[in-house]
Amino acid sequence: MSIDITLTVNGVSHPLAVDPHASLLHTVRDQVGLTGSKEGCDDSECGACMMLIDGRPVNACSYLAVQADGAEVTTVEGLADGNDLTPLQRAFLEKGGVQCGFCTPGMLISATALLRDHPRPTEDQIRIALSGNLCRCTGYDGIVAAVAAAAEQG
Amino acid sequence: MSTYVEARDVAAAVAAMADGARPVAGGTDLVVGARHGKAPLPESIVGIHRIPGLDGISVADGVVRIGALTSHAAILSSPELASATAGLLDASAIVGSHATRANGTLGGNVMNASPAMDTGAPLLCHDASVVLTGPGGTRRVGLAELWTGPGKTSASPDELMEAVELPLPPEGAGSAYVRLQYRRQMEIAVVGAAAYVEVSDGAVSAARVAITALTPVICRVPGSEEALVGRRLGSNDSVSGENPAVWTQTTEIGDAIHAAGQAAAAAATPISDVRASAGYRTAMAAVVTRRAVTAALTRATGGSVTVPASDWSER
Amino acid sequence: MTVTEERPTAEQQGTFIRPDGKEKVTGLGRYTADVNLTGQAHAAFRFADHPHARITRIDTSAARAIPGVYAVVTHEDVPENLYGGMVQDRLLFAKDTVRWEGDVVAGVAARTQAIAREAAAAIVVEYDVLPALPDFVANAQPGAPLVHPEWTAYDADDDLSREGNVVGHSTILKGDVDAAMETADVVVTSRFVADASQGAPIEPRAILAQWTGDRVTVWTSTQVPFAARDGVAHTLGIPQSHVRVIVPLLGGGFGSKCDFHFEAHVAALAEAAGRPVKLVFSRREEFLAPDHRREGMVLEFETGATKDGHLVARRATLHLDKGAYTGEGGFFAQMAAMHACGPYELDNVAVRAMLTYSTNQPSSSIRAPTAPQTCWALEQHMDQVAAAVGLDPVELRRRTLIRQGSHGPTGQVFDEIGMLDTLEAAVEMIGYGQELPDDEAIGVACGWWPSMASPSGAYVKLNGDGTGTIVTGAQECGTGAVMALPILAAEQLGMRPDDFSILYQDTDAGPWDMGASGSQTTFNNGRAVVAAAQEVRAQLLQMAAEKLEIDPADLELVDGTVRAVGAPSTSVTIAELAGTGTPLLGKGSGDLPENPPTDIPSACVGRLGLDSFLAPQLITHAARVKVDRETGVVRVLAFAAAHDSGVIVNKIGADGQVYGGVMMGIGQALSEATYFDEEGRQRNPGLLDYKLQTASDGPRIDVRWIEVDTPNAGPKGSKGVGEPPSVPTSGAVGNAIAQVVGRHVTQLPMTAERVWTTIQDVQEEAK
Ligand SMILES: Cc1cc2nc3c(=O)[nH]c(=O)nc-3n(C[C@H](O)[C@H](O)[C@H](O)COP(=O)(O)OP(=O)(O)OC[C@H]3O[C@@H](n4cnc5c(N)ncnc54)[C@H](O)[C@@H]3O)c2cc1C
Ligand code: FES
Ligand code: FES
Repeated sequence: MSIDITLTVNGVSHPLAVDPHASLLHTVRDQVGLTGSKEGCDDSECGACMMLIDGRPVNACSYLAVQADGAEVTTVEGLADGNDLTPLQRAFLEKGGVQCGFCTPGMLISATALLRDHPRPTEDQIRIALSGNLCRCTGYDGIVAAVAAAAEQG
Repeated sequence: MSTYVEARDVAAAVAAMADGARPVAGGTDLVVGARHGKAPLPESIVGIHRIPGLDGISVADGVVRIGALTSHAAILSSPELASATAGLLDASAIVGSHATRANGTLGGNVMNASPAMDTGAPLLCHDASVVLTGPGGTRRVGLAELWTGPGKTSASPDELMEAVELPLPPEGAGSAYVRLQYRRQMEIAVVGAAAYVEVSDGAVSAARVAITALTPVICRVPGSEEALVGRRLGSNDSVSGENPAVWTQTTEIGDAIHAAGQAAAAAATPISDVRASAGYRTAMAAVVTRRAVTAALTRATGGSVTVPASDWSER
Repeated sequence: MTVTEERPTAEQQGTFIRPDGKEKVTGLGRYTADVNLTGQAHAAFRFADHPHARITRIDTSAARAIPGVYAVVTHEDVPENLYGGMVQDRLLFAKDTVRWEGDVVAGVAARTQAIAREAAAAIVVEYDVLPALPDFVANAQPGAPLVHPEWTAYDADDDLSREGNVVGHSTILKGDVDAAMETADVVVTSRFVADASQGAPIEPRAILAQWTGDRVTVWTSTQVPFAARDGVAHTLGIPQSHVRVIVPLLGGGFGSKCDFHFEAHVAALAEAAGRPVKLVFSRREEFLAPDHRREGMVLEFETGATKDGHLVARRATLHLDKGAYTGEGGFFAQMAAMHACGPYELDNVAVRAMLTYSTNQPSSSIRAPTAPQTCWALEQHMDQVAAAVGLDPVELRRRTLIRQGSHGPTGQVFDEIGMLDTLEAAVEMIGYGQELPDDEAIGVACGWWPSMASPSGAYVKLNGDGTGTIVTGAQECGTGAVMALPILAAEQLGMRPDDFSILYQDTDAGPWDMGASGSQTTFNNGRAVVAAAQEVRAQLLQMAAEKLEIDPADLELVDGTVRAVGAPSTSVTIAELAGTGTPLLGKGSGDLPENPPTDIPSACVGRLGLDSFLAPQLITHAARVKVDRETGVVRVLAFAAAHDSGVIVNKIGADGQVYGGVMMGIGQALSEATYFDEEGRQRNPGLLDYKLQTASDGPRIDVRWIEVDTPNAGPKGSKGVGEPPSVPTSGAVGNAIAQVVGRHVTQLPMTAERVWTTIQDVQEEAK
């Protein structure tokens, strides 16, 4: 049985028919066609799929799309304002927070959620908030520095 | 053919459950468990995550009530709970990652009945019960009667958990939860222990200790509790709680803390798996119990133990 | 004249923003799993049901009957072409025997992934189960049952030995060890065991194949597109020119995506299905199926030393687990033997290393293959030697590390190198010798890694607007290695790095390259780009000379112009010259640096070319750790990494390699291991129990580069960068733990339980 839902993704509303067991991640990638959010594990361990649902960070690989019916979903594609990168995105590039980039979408989402709740986080708060996002390339140093730098800029 | 409905109130949820639907709140156990291959997703699911009034924390008439949909993040930012049930904050602070805490609910944690769940031991020590509502009405069940086995509860499939309730602790009470963690975040408790103590006139007047991931269901350890009750904390210097290390020396309370740890190890019936051997788990049962008791005593006597106590006890 | 806005140069900005950065932070960049083709089917594999068994029957009829199934492919549907890097010992689809749990028996292409998985499970496979042979040390004994009974008939590199299950047997024999041991004041022996571990890139591999006529295009998450192309052509029996491999953005590799993997399986499925087929691995499959993980090892050392801190002799015996197939990993015994010596002056050496088949997951290159485990063991052994002779561990290293003019363990004589400087820098950064609480300590470890010379090529062309395009065979896996190429081209041409675009990761575009492996991209492809740019430079000078009527020798290229030396107003812009329509195209490969000579018969070290280390990358790591004595939990509080990688071409990229490598090394030190059951099945094929370090576990990492302008090396005196950062990490952590605990933990990873058990042992013995 398919269920009719409406997903508002990055401000655009999408009426969709989804399987009750479909994950939010597959729905956004395959039906909405936004592939910025990645699948690194499918069981909430890596954070590459992180999205915001009504502002809450969520492992979209393990969240039922039907539960997001009517909610505001934000993916990495929704962060920049048109062609203008956010200070956080720029800081990721300037501080060496991006290598292969596969963790980057999820990292940016987690960091966005952190900075909204804690505009001036300590280094430990940054590290704790990013612990659900695994990065194999950067050793986290550049990422933590980028979040701190973005917080500096306000 | 799988189905899904979203319930907008308790009655609708209970009706769906009576029709065979499984509730999903944050989904961080139900959906993730299916991804792990632990259990496939139920064919029929009812979303309860947006039922109004099922979240929130209140204190009234000596009872602390935490709605089933209260997230770990909300528990962490509650000033009422910070002073009354610090041990619960210790647990919620280390559940998964920030995303797990933002979505995972107390109701889901408790009803999932995992022997490794983090909020279980502190809630048990706080003498918590759950409020269950089914087609036949509402009842309250103590946690020791709720959990019947790994992943099993005595709630009937059509009973929705509405809230967790626990008595507001008196002055001079303190609680803590400590788990063994290889990583600081994104862990499953290899072993854990919680303690709740009341201190009056320089002695332990009440003590409850519970252990996590060491028995098929999270349970109290009477031997640990007996070891503590009635013990004097010692001279005023050490009662300050600022330096709990003195308690581990050969003082009366130091001996009692040690004995509480030994009793927890004796009560443990752990498994060996890829995370740890049974022998190590048993030895660690004593360590986390000592640390939880120490942290609870420190809090009970006005000392400062930062949340989560697991990090604090590594310091 | 073309109009270009005034932008600060990368150097002026202080940072060089990666050309692929914007697509990565906006989520618009495409990785292989993000690419879809109209009509594509989805693939799933049927893996071996037993780690070791003879296949008696395969029946695919039930699977084929499932609605939505387009094709089922087994060994019957592809040529029987054995493949493998140094020994051709594997078939795409197992025919008679399965040799590990990840052997592929069949593949399915279906309308959805769910149907494909269902059909794969519906294939009937019957077996005669054989005893699993997971014990690689036992397998090396004469008379042990063979993993490949027929393997002397396989094609293989002549330089490999083939005795029983031993694929590679390397020895380093130098001087007279027996006699020298007699002269030692102390002789220290140690034994260590290292568990297997994984590359674990965050992107699970994905492959998409599409046929157009008799040619196939494969989009794949590989680190080595040319090897993937060659593998498809070889196993499917088609010309290389009929295979085009394109790599979209690559989500990390760390070696695990080196070598040819599943590209041919998917191509075969696409051909059979008559439509594009896409394979995306789950995380579980990413653990279980690749023939690529870090080898488990058993290491025994014996070192004789004098009281004044000189190493007089070293014996070592190393066993390495090859797993079921050789792949590209045939050189591991030799590499491990070199690391058992380490970057030390040693006159008398007897090292034996055996690389042995088992029915475990095959091991193959993972970031600095064999080095982290061997270095972990050796460096802990070195601290034991220091204790035995009564010297501070740093002091022992000061006296024994290689330096300019030193004779290395194989007699290689070293040019100017910064080994000792890395030691002093790391020791200073970490604050060695400071007062610490009694549960904290500092450990130091040194290591090395060769630069790999490999042929490589590039084209540089200029566009009509005065910008440039680098067309290269080089591959990027996130390291930023390819990002250094524009810097090098720009320098030759007086242009800016961001004037260049790069066309790469497409086997039909650039010349052959070894790929993103062996830390070799800047080293080799950088040389090629410089040579190609020099050709363009010559063309530009010639054109400008004609136009300005000045001798080319009196011209220089600066700020996008060609101008007269000393008379900058006499100039012509590069855009003007490039805009004339004359093609400005250079090609290059550069001269391959040669491996330094050794002074012992090469037969003694095998003939795989690793008996000396070209432009050696030299490393000292220092870790300050805190050990929870009651639980054995270790936290790394501070970390210092000092590296001689020659001159650093792209600092932000190089720093990033160290941060990432150190964190990977800390994971290997403390938490990362693939555990096998008695049959060789993985017990923890997921990120829940294969524990990578998280952001909250990591320390701040201090990095310092000892920039030695290295002769006989890469462009500008550079060496490789990418692999060394995890080489001595676990050794430094291990030595720090031992300082607290009073004894070395002899099994890697040094998990909390293993540290705790060591503490218990020390306490027991004290009683
Ligand atoms: C990455 C990750 C890390 C985790 N780490 C931890 C950890 O460190 N410690 C820990 O304890 N847990 C951990 N968990 C488990 C989980 O996050 C928590 O148990 C969480 O609190 C579950 O809440 P939920 O709302 O998501 O539950 P759900 O998945 O929605 O529900 C769980 C179960 O409870 C039932 N249920 C839910 N609500 C009710 C209700 N009101 N009435 C009746 N039945 C109900 C559901 O039917 C289901 O069987 C982790 C999970 C993940 C994915
Ligand atoms: S893909 Fe969702 S957490 Fe890894
Ligand atoms: S940049 Fe590659 S995983 Fe983070």
